[in-house]
Amino acid sequence: MSTHIKRRRFLKQVAASSIAVAGATAAGKWMGGSGEATACVRPPGSLSEEEFLATCIRCGRCGDACPNQCIQPFTEEVALTHAVEPGAAQRNTPVIFPRQQACMLCNDVESDHLLCTEACPTGALQKTVKQVDIIIEEVDMGLAEVDEQLCYSYNGASCGICVRACPFEGKALTAGMWEKPIIDESYCVGCGLCERACVRFPQAIRVVPKA
Amino acid sequence: MKKFELHKLQWLRHSVQIMVIVLMLLVPAVSRYANSVAADDIDSQMKAWEGSFQGNTMAAIDTVFRALPEGEMTRQGLTESERDPQAVIKYSRAFRGGPWSAELFGVSMTDPLGAAESIVARKHVAKVVLISLIVPVILTLLFGRIFCSWICPMGLILEITDRFRNVLKFLELKTYNIRFTRNTKYAMLVVGLCASAVLSVPILGYVYPPAIISRELHDLIFTLFDRAEAKLLGFTFIGLTWMSLILLGIILFEVFVSRRWWCRYICPGGALYILLGIKRPVRVQLNESKCTHCVDCVVACPMGLNPMKNEMGPECDNCGECISSCHDDALKFALSLGTSIKEESTESVPVTK
Repeated sequence: MSTHIKRRRFLKQVAASSIAVAGATAAGKWMGGSGEATACVRPPGSLSEEEFLATCIRCGRCGDACPNQCIQPFTEEVALTHAVEPGAAQRNTPVIFPRQQACMLCNDVESDHLLCTEACPTGALQKTVKQVDIIIEEVDMGLAEVDEQLCYSYNGASCGICVRACPFEGKALTAGMWEKPIIDESYCVGCGLCERACVRFPQAIRVVPKA
Repeated sequence: MKKFELHKLQWLRHSVQIMVIVLMLLVPAVSRYANSVAADDIDSQMKAWEGSFQGNTMAAIDTVFRALPEGEMTRQGLTESERDPQAVIKYSRAFRGGPWSAELFGVSMTDPLGAAESIVARKHVAKVVLISLIVPVILTLLFGRIFCSWICPMGLILEITDRFRNVLKFLELKTYNIRFTRNTKYAMLVVGLCASAVLSVPILGYVYPPAIISRELHDLIFTLFDRAEAKLLGFTFIGLTWMSLILLGIILFEVFVSRRWWCRYICPGGALYILLGIKRPVRVQLNESKCTHCVDCVVACPMGLNPMKNEMGPECDNCGECISSCHDDALKFALSLGTSIKEESTESVPVTK
């Protein structure tokens, strides 16, 4: 009798453990196996995409902290409006869609650091001091790129809205002849305020996320 | 008299649990409020959304923020109808995040499971992770698995849905309480951490209920306000994603198949808390001379342990349900510095219903 119960319990234990292990492995396969990572703009101070996906625990605290509400969780619902799809490992990671809301680098907020980088509990967003020179040096969300086919200033109508929107006006974005935007790669941090401001649709100036 | 006090403990515990859920719902709303104040948009929003769920929430938050110390809200020569965005941002920082990772009054706290999987996935230990681990780890070392019983929102939900089993019994439906091996959760923890390291993605956060709830409620509230900006007022559950189905599955499984299945046998976070709190000094202790062997505490224990045998080992989450259920005053919290308590044999006798 007692051997019978022991065997039953042993079988139960084996069954339960194997279900758990199989479930975890399947979940892991599903997370890492399917879907390429989509290029997207990460909040300021983020690690490289690969390291970011490994470090971020998807807690959403950077989104809470953002005074501009530009950081959103990368869910299917959010991504749908921007015609992209999160990769399997990117689900719920913080993402910025500059067209919808761009990073204003905590301008006009009384703080020593960029608030999202201060909120991050894991270091996926590196704590960044809020000073112009440090931001230019350390923040790299992407790089603005002008589509000369679309840009009004390249097509005979001077516009220059993106230049006015740039937080480093005269450095990252300068106005050339007929307000043509000229991007200085060494200054552009990829905040996306130019993309946000662009009056052309689809946007003539866009932030290309860092690799 | 003693009995009353013990019930107060349970009331306190449930208040903390409910407060956690309320805060989780409020944090994103307050974040939205701070954003609207900074954009100087709050008055028009409150007017446009008047009477709806979103409008009422904003109005309530606005009332609270206006009741804060005056010097803060009306400085810089602002008139009475204006709000100072700096003060709003400063005060809204008091509560941030959810049970997965939170900031309370400037103290950063992260679930040890989240920190662990982040560390193994990145294969590098950052200083911020360690800082945010200090408070939860110290609390766990002292009180054991109290996250499960006092903070975890899933714990509260499961305690409520556990009562549905009584309804099933009342309807004379057959209820099952299949017992699994408790070691499954350690397997989950180890397998999950290994998979995180191999895939370089912290995957346990996707199946860990407090993390799911924390994210889902954020999404729900943010979606509500996004919809309000598109003139779609009123409360809906549209913001929830299919991840909520994991929670629903756990709840249904616990009601119909196995009581507190997730917490007792599966939860990887619980496993980590158990391992951290294995030498905790605060434990439930049995006074054997007072015990009348009525089995009430065994029935009450949500973790399926047997307090009558004085075996409150690592699995106990210090919820105090056994103390509250005891009619003979035989159980109490006591400080014991790791001497006479037996650590082994956490499997309870099959007396429970």
